[in-house]
Amino acid sequence: MKFATFCTRTLIAVAALAQPAFAAEKSVSTDVGTFDKATAEKAYPYPLKPPAKQPYAPYAERNYPTRPLFGDTHLHTSYSLDAGVFGARLGPREAFQFARGEEVTASSGQRAKLSRPLDFLVVADHSDNMGFFPALFAGKPEMLADPTGRKWYDMMQKGEGAKAAFEIIAAFSDGTFPKALEMNPGTPGFRAAWQESIKAAEEYNSPGRFTAFIGYEWTSQGSFNIHRNVVFRDGADKAGRVEPFTVAPPAGSPNERDLWKWMQAYEDKTGGKVLAIAHNGNVSNGRMFPLIEFFTGKPMDRSYAEARNKWEHLYEVTQMKGDGESHPFLSPNDEFAGYETWDKGNLDVSAAKTKDMLQFEYAREALKNGLKLEKELGINPHKFGMIGSTDSHTGLATAEEDNFFGKVTPMEPNPERATKPFLKNPKTGLTVMEWEVAASGYAAVWATDNTREAIFDAMQRREAYATTGTRMAVRFFGGFDFETKDAHNRLPARIGYTKGVPMGGDLKDAPKGKAPTFLVAALKDPIGANLDRYQIVKGWLDKNGKLHEKVYDVVWSGARKPDPKTGKLPPVGNTVDVANASWTNAIGAPELIAVWKDPAFDPAQSAFYYGRVLEIPTPRWTAYDAKYYGLKNLDPKIPMTTQERAYTSPIWYTPKKL
Amino acid sequence: MKQILSDPSVQFLKRILKEPLAHFLLIGALLFVVYGLFSGPGSGRGEIVITQGQIEHLAAGFARVWQRPPSAEELTGLIGDRVREEVLYREAIAIGLDKDDAIIRRRLRQKMEFISDDLAAQAEPSDAELNTYLQAHPDAFRAEPRFSFRQVYLSPQKRGKNLQRDAAQLLAQLNASGAKVDPAQLGDALMLEPAYAALPLGEVAKQFGAPFAARLPELALKQWQGPVESGYGVHLVYISERTAGRMPELAEVRETVRREWVNARRLEANEKFYQELLKRYTVTVEDIK
Repeated sequence: MKFATFCTRTLIAVAALAQPAFAAEKSVSTDVGTFDKATAEKAYPYPLKPPAKQPYAPYAERNYPTRPLFGDTHLHTSYSLDAGVFGARLGPREAFQFARGEEVTASSGQRAKLSRPLDFLVVADHSDNMGFFPALFAGKPEMLADPTGRKWYDMMQKGEGAKAAFEIIAAFSDGTFPKALEMNPGTPGFRAAWQESIKAAEEYNSPGRFTAFIGYEWTSQGSFNIHRNVVFRDGADKAGRVEPFTVAPPAGSPNERDLWKWMQAYEDKTGGKVLAIAHNGNVSNGRMFPLIEFFTGKPMDRSYAEARNKWEHLYEVTQMKGDGESHPFLSPNDEFAGYETWDKGNLDVSAAKTKDMLQFEYAREALKNGLKLEKELGINPHKFGMIGSTDSHTGLATAEEDNFFGKVTPMEPNPERATKPFLKNPKTGLTVMEWEVAASGYAAVWATDNTREAIFDAMQRREAYATTGTRMAVRFFGGFDFETKDAHNRLPARIGYTKGVPMGGDLKDAPKGKAPTFLVAALKDPIGANLDRYQIVKGWLDKNGKLHEKVYDVVWSGARKPDPKTGKLPPVGNTVDVANASWTNAIGAPELIAVWKDPAFDPAQSAFYYGRVLEIPTPRWTAYDAKYYGLKNLDPKIPMTTQERAYTSPIWYTPKKL
Repeated sequence: MKQILSDPSVQFLKRILKEPLAHFLLIGALLFVVYGLFSGPGSGRGEIVITQGQIEHLAAGFARVWQRPPSAEELTGLIGDRVREEVLYREAIAIGLDKDDAIIRRRLRQKMEFISDDLAAQAEPSDAELNTYLQAHPDAFRAEPRFSFRQVYLSPQKRGKNLQRDAAQLLAQLNASGAKVDPAQLGDALMLEPAYAALPLGEVAKQFGAPFAARLPELALKQWQGPVESGYGVHLVYISERTAGRMPELAEVRETVRREWVNARRLEANEKFYQELLKRYTVTVEDIK
């Protein structure tokens, strides 16, 4: 036996020695466990529900969501191998504290605090190598059921811990270690980390105030980014009964079909609910939204489309590694396509990107291809709504330009980060600079309540939208009967839910002579910039099987008139003072509301519609850095302004006969 | 498990195990002895035995992930992979590939910190301890004030230079008309609600911005007040009811206080553990040029 083996074994043995004490500790902590509403009400003295007596507040009770909840579904902590290697010291607990609005010390030693709390957070650490925390302290009562285990336990109780430890080591080395015990301390390292991650979520989940989801990231095909974040609706009682699905064979698999099987097995076994959110198609080099299945080389079939349609209702369309709504090459007529674009290569730029890959990477194109696949296969594999999230590897869910803590710990605020390479591959000669990292984004969810159940259910019905870090409120309703006067109603949301379906919904089989109408409304972030315009993006499949898209300006600020020749609305203007990293709300509008009717509707063609809302220009994080650190002579390529935006989940129109 | 916890002998054991340095020294001593006993010179023919127990463990690990036992073929694959890992792992260690590897160093540091974290695990705090903590950190546990209020919005874009005049007129009208008019139909439309019931101050800040929320506690009850500025424009506000913020009793917030207390103890214990270890070293840092 060599020394190395013994290092590991010694640690295991020492842990076994320590086990009973820790076992007791763990299980007590787990008693905090299911943090249900009753517990919360006990824990928080003020009532969660408004008091029965509601003087003078007849409008307060609504049976639909009245404000969007903002959160991050994709945050890494030190439990993720790569985050830890990059120096992240904050774990899930600190991540939840920060998201709840508390001040924490970032891994770089700086104090960090959000401008205001988030409403929910999913800590989604990579499942492969998660934690690597030895299962030394797993704490299993079964240990005492084994005679040898009982003996060692008794020895330790008598203060003969050291003697017991040597016996344990000897048992390991000559292979006489009891099987019953070997099963437990030898479980994969990540099991303990997974349990710790669950425990942190249980501790910080406060129904009604802040939702802490249990989740993880399945990180397939590393550099080709076939990644999914898996989010549980459930608490520890169910999520704790399984271990995260990994990629590394033989236990895991890099094929998303196997992830979906795992999800099905979880639901069958526990009666729980789970969803998956894919992200960063923009660095997948054509693999995120394929027509040809990567693992078989065959065209996507119905079983793949069915499973994807079932498990993936949302797509993470914007985050720090670039925005994935649209690309200028695919949408040459859209002057706002190409926001924070990353299109040099795959995730680690180890393979360059070619133009033919783009059509399988961007959300708008995927939504279009989804219509085509639906016609061929009878089910739409790309029927996803849109959210944003950070994918931060610092434990800090920051997406605001003036409070951006970067993608990884070395990118936490420092004078060099605007000018350093973020990725560099000598083989391909490709470089991505740190200034190219986007301060984006958040997930906004129209949930009726701030609880795991309500937010999860809203995600499943796609009643959610993406923002690039701003917290504007965006409504998007579709129906056949909206009229202009509905936009002047004092309660547009009530009209919206009464006469139509919210974002993420379906319209089917148009009544004769009618076209889809949309009630759109956006309210600026209370501490953010005014709004420039609300656009509707339409995509459709014509009778010859060709796909089309068109962007409509629906409502905008001020008295601008579209150019009679091009039909384009003039830009809103720009108040940004780059040197001072400031802007004013002298242009734009705090709120935009309108009703829009599709002017070119064909009831026989399937289509989708989604909203895109732009803010007026504001300083980008690079401008805040330049001002704070007094940076001079920066590369003029570095953008200093940005137009933050939101993308709603689509509403689909499906004709009676596909 | 609670029964085990309260067992006096376990309490005794926990006291011993709570001493991080003692524990660390034990690990060190074990490593030393084991190293002396088993590390032979050279890299002679090694032996790898995959025990029945390990095979069952591999199969169980697979089953936990896939929710079914592995097939015979899959199990063979698992075992093959285990052997391969063991061979490459031992050879890598033998030629020193673990030395000066930043990833391995950080991983080992992290493992030490995990151990330290668990060593820091404390006995259940008493109510007295929790009460002391609660009193020492009142801001972390104070219940927020709540407001039931109505608001009428005036848009600077729509009103332009008449904004202040219109606000003053509307304020007078609202206070004069009592219950005769529906305030929800006055002023300009805004996507925010015209009335809120028992909204915590933090929620007010999320929806109207912090400056607006900061004004609410100053306003008198049961009369229209304003204008109050928000991120959207100006508002006239009628507060019908206000619940003051207050310090909760321990029983109301026990779980939250316990969580924070445990976290605080963990940080303290980790630092103490590190400081104890640091004492075993003389650290020399050369002058920074």
